[in-house]
Amino acid sequence: MKSSFTRFFILLLALFTITGCSSNASGANGKPKKIILDYAYYSPTSLILKEKGFAEDLFKKEGIEVEFVLSQGSNKALEFLNSKSVDFGSSAGAAALLAKAKGSPIQTVYIFSKPEWTALVSKDSSINSVEDLKGKKVAATLGTDPYIFLLRALEDKGLSAKDVEIINLQHADGAAALLSGEVVAWAGLDPHMARVEKEAGANLFFRNPDFNTYGTLNVRTEFAEKYPEYVTKVIEAYEKARQWAIDHPEETAEILAKEAQIDIEVAKIQIGRNDFSTSKPGDEQIAAITAAGDVLKNEGLVEGNADIEKIVRDLINSSYFK
Amino acid sequence: MNGRSESLKIAVEKPKTKEFKKRSTKLNLNWLLGGIIPLILLITWEVAGRIGLIEAHLLPTPTKIINEIINMGAAGTLWGHIGTTLLRVGAGFFLGTIAALILGSIVGYFTVFEKLMDPLIQAFRSIPSLAWVPLFILWMGIGESSKVTLIAVGVFFPVYLNIVSGIQGVDRKLIEVGKIYGFTSAQTLRKIILPASLPSFLVGLRSGLGLGWMFVVAAEIMGASKGLGYLLVVGQNTYSPHLVIASILLFAVIGKLTDSLLKNIEKKSLSWQDSFSNQR
Repeated sequence: MKSSFTRFFILLLALFTITGCSSNASGANGKPKKIILDYAYYSPTSLILKEKGFAEDLFKKEGIEVEFVLSQGSNKALEFLNSKSVDFGSSAGAAALLAKAKGSPIQTVYIFSKPEWTALVSKDSSINSVEDLKGKKVAATLGTDPYIFLLRALEDKGLSAKDVEIINLQHADGAAALLSGEVVAWAGLDPHMARVEKEAGANLFFRNPDFNTYGTLNVRTEFAEKYPEYVTKVIEAYEKARQWAIDHPEETAEILAKEAQIDIEVAKIQIGRNDFSTSKPGDEQIAAITAAGDVLKNEGLVEGNADIEKIVRDLINSSYFK
Repeated sequence: MNGRSESLKIAVEKPKTKEFKKRSTKLNLNWLLGGIIPLILLITWEVAGRIGLIEAHLLPTPTKIINEIINMGAAGTLWGHIGTTLLRVGAGFFLGTIAALILGSIVGYFTVFEKLMDPLIQAFRSIPSLAWVPLFILWMGIGESSKVTLIAVGVFFPVYLNIVSGIQGVDRKLIEVGKIYGFTSAQTLRKIILPASLPSFLVGLRSGLGLGWMFVVAAEIMGASKGLGYLLVVGQNTYSPHLVIASILLFAVIGKLTDSLLKNIEKKSLSWQDSFSNQR
């Protein structure tokens, strides 16, 4: 009886140890066998990286395999990071902060763009301001920048999430719900937002570029601590892609149109709303993400006693830049 | 005579009291035995979480999960979510059962209809619940109708199958007895077929309710703003595993309570049955 209990506890401990283990297999000489990157339609830089094979070229000679996984939103990218399904994930800065505040072991190491990728969108002519949303249904994807943008827009006009009915839908479904009239407004995200604007004549009734937090590339802390030089190399590959986007805006739009299966004109609208001039995270990003963090705190999404500034400082790490 | 009946009464009652005590002791022992492993697991989980053996962002401690439920209850938000989900399951269960009752009775009673309709119904049965989601959103939008319909679809099949097999499994000799007594079709249905197929129907109801609780999660994932399934998605999208586990726990508890309710109805409805379970 005693020995069977001992076996039972050993089995439990083994299970807990496995739970804490990394999914990333180590190769010889302290280098990873495989690096898993995400790509997302809201991150044109990641699409260029995937299309042009910059990462593969960089790691081929070292015998490191590169794998790409699609993220449909910041919530998914951060979920993948949390579950160790990817090593690098693309998200909005505010969404990364929310994950970090909840204990996700991640670091923001790179800025893939400064986008105006979200706005409040309506198709109904009676909705022209944030105040018009009171008591109405609004679609948004929880845990993403558009959702946080909606919260900030409401707070800016003296309202809160309790004053509207937020319907949780993934970005593409939110666009569909807006077009079918099931919600009066949608906290949009490009390229879906650019598509409904161009093809369905939707109205971006509330815009504020400063309420959009930066597009951030996040790495699992465990990966970064284990392979710091490979974080630098991934940044190097991203820098190539970013420079390529600056030099080839037309082709970047074509890559986006092909990947996201959208019209080229829609892709051009999205690319036009992205500023690729900044890539190293610094004070500007810290300020923008901290401001978003205060709203998250007010809405109860982050614990009231959380030190937002400290969490942001722990999140942003620019030391991997050469 | 009176004294004799008293002694008889005592003789009958004494063993009953002993038996009752023995049975309740056995029941308590079963509860104790059944609780040992869950208790060990909970304690191990709590300790492992506290000493950092398990990462908190992946699996929070049981106390954190219970606290989350208590806090939501105190804030008053929990009851709204539970109420919404119960309403959806209730409405879906009712509609699914009514549809199954009508179709199942027709298919079970008339051979022609069985040949005509059963193959199609069986084909629909193999479609996974999530496969309906995009279609229901397209046809009915993201409102309550699509959610309730999805739950009704889930409830329909087990109830339908059990009604059909219950009716078709009625002892032929009972029907013959009815004919001897000169029962009309309506009397045969009311006095023989319905009571004889009731056990099967009630089993179907319990299976249907179980599937109803499974389908409500799929239903509440499609654009909800309230409900336990919505709470689960909120937990997922805001990186709050304690909220996810709290939702799962609430689903388990409420699902079990509703099943127990149906089990009691089943027991009362079938008290006339001369079955093994009624002898225990």
